[in-house]
This record gives sequence, C-alpha cells and structure tokens, in this order.
Amino acid sequence: MTGEPDPGGEARDWLAAEYALGLLEGDLLAEARRRLSDDPDFRREVGEWTGRLAPLLDEVAPAAPPEDLWRRIAPRLAGAGGPAAAHAPAANDNLAPLQRKLALWRGYAAAATALAASLAFFLAVRPGEPPVPSAPTPVAPVPAAGSAPLVAMMESKDSPVRLVATYEPASRSLVVMPAAGLARAAGHSHQLWLIPAGGAPHPLGIVTPDTPLRLALSGALAPDATLAVSVEPTGGSPTGLPTGPVIASGKLVRT
Amino acid sequence: MGLNMDLPAGALRESGERLRLAEALASVAAGDKSAMKELYARTSPKLFGICLRVLGSEAEAEEALQETYVAAWRKAGAFDSGRASPITWLAIIARNKAIDRLRLRRPIAPDGLDSVAAIADDSPSAADALEQADEARRLSVCLETLDSVQSRAIRGAFLGGASYPELAAREGVPLGTMKSWVRRGLSRLKTCLES
Repeated sequence: MTGEPDPGGEARDWLAAEYALGLLEGDLLAEARRRLSDDPDFRREVGEWTGRLAPLLDEVAPAAPPEDLWRRIAPRLAGAGGPAAAHAPAANDNLAPLQRKLALWRGYAAAATALAASLAFFLAVRPGEPPVPSAPTPVAPVPAAGSAPLVAMMESKDSPVRLVATYEPASRSLVVMPAAGLARAAGHSHQLWLIPAGGAPHPLGIVTPDTPLRLALSGALAPDATLAVSVEPTGGSPTGLPTGPVIASGKLVRT
Repeated sequence: MGLNMDLPAGALRESGERLRLAEALASVAAGDKSAMKELYARTSPKLFGICLRVLGSEAEAEEALQETYVAAWRKAGAFDSGRASPITWLAIIARNKAIDRLRLRRPIAPDGLDSVAAIADDSPSAADALEQADEARRLSVCLETLDSVQSRAIRGAFLGGASYPELAAREGVPLGTMKSWVRRGLSRLKTCLES
C-alpha cells in the first residue's frame, strides 16, 4: 500500500523496509527499534519486508562450522537438561553410517598414495562390473544400481589438496571430507562446485580443513557429474560462478 | 544436467525436510535438547554459510552461529509453521545475529566487507541454488527486473550488511541518490512480487 513514496514523509515511509534490509544507522535505527517494540503495524510491516527478502538467503553457499562448535553451544542453552543430556551421543541419525565410512576413508587419505590407489581401484572396477566382492570398505549389502552410493576423489596434479565426497542417493546427502592439503587461508574460502556433464558449475558450499561438509540436496546427482573446489573470496564466489583457481576436482563414480 | 529436477522445485523441502525441521522445532520448544542437536546437525552448514557471508570472518561467524542457536532455543515456541518454513525462520535469525555483530564492530573495523563488495553479476545462476523454492525464484525474477545497481544494492544490504553510506561509496554516488535508487528499487520489487 506504500507504493511510491510521498515526498513529504519519505524517510518515515521507508523505515520498515530499510530496517528489514539492514540499512539504518544512528537515530533512524534507534527510532526503528523503538517502534518495533511498541508499534504493531510497524512490526508487521518489518515482518512483511523480511519475508519478501528472505529468499535471498537461499543464494548463500553453506559452509561447515568447526566440529566442536556444538559443544560450545550446548552449555549455553538455558533450561531443562543437564550437561549429560547436552553431551549425549548423537541422537542423529542417518549420518552415522556415512561418518563411519568417512572415518575409514580418512584413514586411507593419510597417505596420498593410498588415496590415489583407491581412486584407481574404483575406476578400474567401474564399467558394468557386478558389485565388488573385495571392496575395501564395510559398505553393507550393495544396494541396487540406482541407489548405490557415489564417490568422488577430488585432486589435482598442481596442488596437494585431496578431498573425498560420498553421495547417498536414498537420502540425497552429500558429504565432502577434506583429506589432505587443505589449509586455512586468511581472506579466502574454498568453495565446492557441482559441474553436471555439459553444464555450468553450481555452488554447493564452503569446505574448511578437517571438517566434513554435509549437504542435503533437493535434486539427485548423476554419476557423470564432476565435483570441484576453487579458491574464492571469503564466503564464496560473489558471482555464483568460480572466479579463482580450481585446486581439486573429480568425477562422481559408483562404488 | 546432473541435477535431476523431476521433483517439483522445493518439493523435498516442503514435504520431508520441512516437516522434520518443524517437528524438531516443536520438540525444542518443549525443552528437548536432543531435538536441538538434531536441528543443529541439519541446519548449521546453511546458517554458518549465512554468518560467514555477512561477516566475512570465520571467528565472528562462529560467534554469530552460537548466538543464533541460543536464540532459536529461546524463541522456538514462537515459531509459526503457517507463516514461515523452519529453515527460513532460522536463516533470518542467523542473518540478523550476523548483522547485529557487524553493526557492533563497524565503527572500528569495517573490513571483511570487501568480500561482498563486488557482487558484479546478478546472473540467475547466482540464485540457482539447489534448495530454490518458488518464492526464491519469484524474488530472483523480480530482482532481474530492477536496474542492476538497484538489485546489487539490495543484495549488498541484505546479505552483506552494507549501510547507505557504504553503498553510496561503492557506486560513487551521493547518499541521497543511493537512497532514492534503493527506495525506488524496493517499491518496484514489492509491486512485482504482488503482481
């Protein structure tokens, strides 16, 4: 209903939108906060603007927080439940099998040669072979072709960086584990990309050293797609496409 | 495309994930810490990404993320599944916590803004996220109808925490010009979204 601003009370008309957008400072910010607490119409208007703009947050690439962050949050939760509850074993869930597999792969990755060997192994047995009886992982009964997990070993001749990605089609969960060479660098993030065969890169998230990045995808991944990691400004490429060098890449293959 | 979009966009989120998160939030509202832990496991990469994008510093993003989940724990009872999806509700909390931190440090150290300073290209691919729902697509379509400087300013403010003076400095225009650009942009955006 505010349509075009009327010249007289322009600043006032836009206060809710500008507050929602985060533009206000100083006196106007103070006024907005005051009205937020005692003006229901203003509060509703801010809510409407926030709702309109919130889909922008979908553009932001996910990034794995440090592994120990939950342990810092749990004690800060007021109310019920003692430290025992807070530190109970993970009540979740379907990630556990993947974590176990990743732990195993991380073991491999300790030696880059072992990683390269396992990559060669996966590739060697891939073409139309029946389930691999001697697969070096305790991957429970090999599921039907369409639901078999996919794996990508990401690497590059020009960098020491190695990452291992596993994708579970049933849950559409993708877990990316930095295995070697990834270092924290001020002013840079390492961004993960999905490159469908013959398609443009999609940003998937930010990978950080020593921390698995877990993603729940809403679309299915095909085995011919490539995963890659590039060096980008902190927080990810501002353009939605890779802007820096690719330090590791690898194709998704069936396990 | 490697992405098989035979499901309607956002269908998974609507049905499965959304429901699970809504249930987890309901349990959290009842004081269930294990539900809180599940909520954290499912949503923290998304929310950490938002904090990192706004703040441009991992250390600060970690602080903002902690504040986000403490706030979610306290406010879970106020979540209304009829008004917002759980992930949107959480994403807004994360974004607001990150912006609050940005405001606190701004007078001292306005660094980190560089990382979001040049959203050079408003191509749809930037918004072509895997979780894109209908509303996200509508917003991005409507942003495309604005002048590029307007959509750049709106993204820079909402996602990057930029203030009017910062936006004006980036574009090299007077403050008043930037204000009227943004307001005109918001006005057109609203009209487009309501059409």
